[in-house]
Amino acid sequence: MVKIEIDEDACVGCGSCVEDCPNDVYEMDEAKNKTRVVKEEDCMACLSCHEICPAQAMEHQDIHVAKRLYIDRKVSNAINKII
Amino acid sequence: MEMELEEIRGTFKPELIPPECGGEIDDYEEALHVLMKFVGSMASALEQVSGRGANAIVYQAGKRMGHDAGKLMEKTDNLENAMQELSQILGKEFFFEMWKPSSQESFTIERSGETEVKLLFRDCVVRQTLRRTGLPQKGPLCYLLYGYMVGAVEEVMDIKGKLDIDHVGPNACLKTLTINWGGK
Ligand code: SF4
Ligand code: SF4
Repeated sequence: MVKIEIDEDACVGCGSCVEDCPNDVYEMDEAKNKTRVVKEEDCMACLSCHEICPAQAMEHQDIHVAKRLYIDRKVSNAINKII
Repeated sequence: MEMELEEIRGTFKPELIPPECGGEIDDYEEALHVLMKFVGSMASALEQVSGRGANAIVYQAGKRMGHDAGKLMEKTDNLENAMQELSQILGKEFFFEMWKPSSQESFTIERSGETEVKLLFRDCVVRQTLRRTGLPQKGPLCYLLYGYMVGAVEEVMDIKGKLDIDHVGPNACLKTLTINWGGK
């Protein structure tokens, strides 16, 4: 099953992930003003929350990672050597 | 700038294609990138010229392909079997599975003569093409896959179907397939 970790130090409490997730996986913790994971079992690993989060505060573990054959391997290899 | 070109030489007889022109894996990669850019630009130009009509055109093209693919499959009136056959035809480049929220008992929901099933597309060449070209999802090119799915399901099950997008993401897209048992 998908495991979602939220980096609470990074989360700015904007609530975008709560709005965006179609399966209500997140909920706002009003007291802390941070998001929290409430329905991990309904996560389908679409990762649209990753695209919307301004703080890149979430991590999805053990998911199917979709193929991205459009990635230019030559460029990626060059970047990997630098970073 | 002069381009380095490795020439392939071989003997060519009619109907006999020399295996040397099959190319290396890097050639395929380059061709894939060109094709993705090409298809992406075509889809966006189509939308620019014909507006929402672009969706209908691409949908029809996909549906025709789906009907053709469906002819190769065994007929069934079992939705789960049809989905399995379809996933084999679509192959790993369009890897999808049936999906349901944890509160729902079965994958299918019956309502007034219709059956609904949610399909989660995990791998999709259309999505990759759109991202390669910087185009948004849910545009005309996505209709190619809807058409394909609907065409294939209609052919295999002899029913009328429709596919709606529920949600799109960079790693998976959720769609609802609705089947009308009234037939075509
Ligand atoms: S990956 Fe998709 S389903 Fe999972 S939490 Fe993010 S938006 Fe929700
Ligand atoms: S989108 Fe990111 S920053 Fe905003 S509430 Fe969600 S996790 Fe926090």
